[in-house]
Amino acid sequence: MNPLRLVIKELIYRRLSSLVILFTVIVASSVSIAIYTLSKASENETRKIMREQGLNLYIFPKGTNLIDFYSVNNTQTFPETYVDVLAESKTFDAVRHLTGILQVKMPEWKDANGSVHQIILFGYKDEAVQRFLSRQETMGFDVKKGTVQLGALLAKNVKPGAPFIIEDKDGNSHSFTVDQRLEEGKGMRDQGVSFHLEDLQMLLGMEGKINKIEALGCVCHDGRIKNARSQVQEIFSDLEVTEISSIADARENQRLMMNKYGAFIIPFVILSALLITGLLFHQNVKARNREIGLLLAMGRSSYTILFMILSKAFILGLAGGIIGFFTGSWIAQYFGKEIFRFTAFSIEPVWSILYYTVFIFPLLWMISSWIPALLATRIDAARILSEE
Amino acid sequence: MIDIRHISKTFKRAGEEYMALLDVSLKIKKGAYISVSGASGSGKSTLLHVIGGLIRPDTGEVIYQGESLYDQSGSFLDLYRKRDVGFIFQQFHLMPYLTVVENIRLSCYQLSHTDAINAYLETCSLVTIKDKYPSDLSVGEKQRTAFIRAIISNPELLLADEPTGNLDPQNSEILLSLIEEFHKQGGTVVLVSHDPAATKYADLNIEIGHGRIQFPAQTFGE
Repeated sequence: MNPLRLVIKELIYRRLSSLVILFTVIVASSVSIAIYTLSKASENETRKIMREQGLNLYIFPKGTNLIDFYSVNNTQTFPETYVDVLAESKTFDAVRHLTGILQVKMPEWKDANGSVHQIILFGYKDEAVQRFLSRQETMGFDVKKGTVQLGALLAKNVKPGAPFIIEDKDGNSHSFTVDQRLEEGKGMRDQGVSFHLEDLQMLLGMEGKINKIEALGCVCHDGRIKNARSQVQEIFSDLEVTEISSIADARENQRLMMNKYGAFIIPFVILSALLITGLLFHQNVKARNREIGLLLAMGRSSYTILFMILSKAFILGLAGGIIGFFTGSWIAQYFGKEIFRFTAFSIEPVWSILYYTVFIFPLLWMISSWIPALLATRIDAARILSEE
Repeated sequence: MIDIRHISKTFKRAGEEYMALLDVSLKIKKGAYISVSGASGSGKSTLLHVIGGLIRPDTGEVIYQGESLYDQSGSFLDLYRKRDVGFIFQQFHLMPYLTVVENIRLSCYQLSHTDAINAYLETCSLVTIKDKYPSDLSVGEKQRTAFIRAIISNPELLLADEPTGNLDPQNSEILLSLIEEFHKQGGTVVLVSHDPAATKYADLNIEIGHGRIQFPAQTFGE
């Protein structure tokens, strides 16, 4: 009889013990997958938060007074093509998600009732593609041409469904479809309106100009800001880099916390499950010592016995790993909704780790059954089979 | 067929050495039917397991078809047990998760055994229960299943360790008749038993005491 058939028959016969082992694999696998998926969701959440709060590196024309930048509308500008030049540079890798921005204050904007307000205008260039770096999900604001996104405070002065009306520099009125009314709590954007860069440039007569690049600094061993500064200034000596450190640090800290958490919990759970499995396999071998003794007496080799026990571990590891992948992904999706605000409904199974799951869990469970399997090959068949 | 030369075997039990076999020599020729009796702990089962390639003696040799068994590799011994030896034990040792037929198939290494299995099932009155599991069988049925499993691959040698120990007289008689049938067809049998009735088909009976063969001379068979 084929040893594999014998393994499957035994698995079914001792279904309770097999289910307990399967359960340990499922627990280990699902916890690992859930934590990994949640850590990925956390990264995405952080990105989304960053998107909401703004990126962590600001690149300005050298000498820009940041106090003036936020209070007056006559800051220095530079060509928007700078963004493309930086993005096209092969050596420019300390900064990602380059977004060219034109940001000015409009002291007098009239709402539909004729009331005058001071608002901030943001024009966002589409996020530059750094084709020499790996592709990443964009963090730009993605304002479509002809539309605007209204900050929460400004939105109170525009009726729902009504277009946003604004005058250009020559006093001509322009109407924009309101694509989004942003929630409050977005800092300066609460009192502003976001355009596609070209729309705002047209309104202000500032074609081809921006006054800021927002970007995300790398997580570099020798310092985010140091690297970013040296790389930017190597290309454009007339630009300087400022870091919004609190946001950047919060982002890094969150990532590190999740990584540390996962780095502790995942090995802990897996090792505990492996230990339990090892003991369960040991018990299984003890319970089967007469069967194994008989097989040895009938001329089955030690390798066949080893194969049979490792095969059982492989089958349970594989099945548990796959079930655990889906369970863990479901747990991540279910609890992720409670944990994450922005990515709550976009948490998806990380399919790439299914391949690792299919490989790693059977391997780990074979390792955990290795010692019991070796002990099984050393069973004294003569003694066991003579026992009454 | 088998030449046992001066074998000794000592076991350790509870820290004390126990001499199971002491300088035992024995020649078993092809077609012999030998019964081995003796008191509990006399070494008769140890002798059976040494012949069956399951216990390596401390000293001496077991020569089978010109080869010293225990000087060969583990895979040689595996092959010897698989091809040339069939075991029957007092406790049957059927796999609880296999049916009667599947238990028998455990020792089949060729598909051509199917006809032989059906014939033996018929002979042993197991046809109607061939798909039942051991938990549904009587002790007699279990032992007959174990008997077919032992001989289905046509071994040279059938080693039976107290095969009737758990059987009533009627089932014992059926089993002993089956073993005798195997012997008549040219099989060599070594049967260890306390039961005097079990020795009645044997060509010769030997007795072991204190690890030594007590009676009679040490060469048996044709």
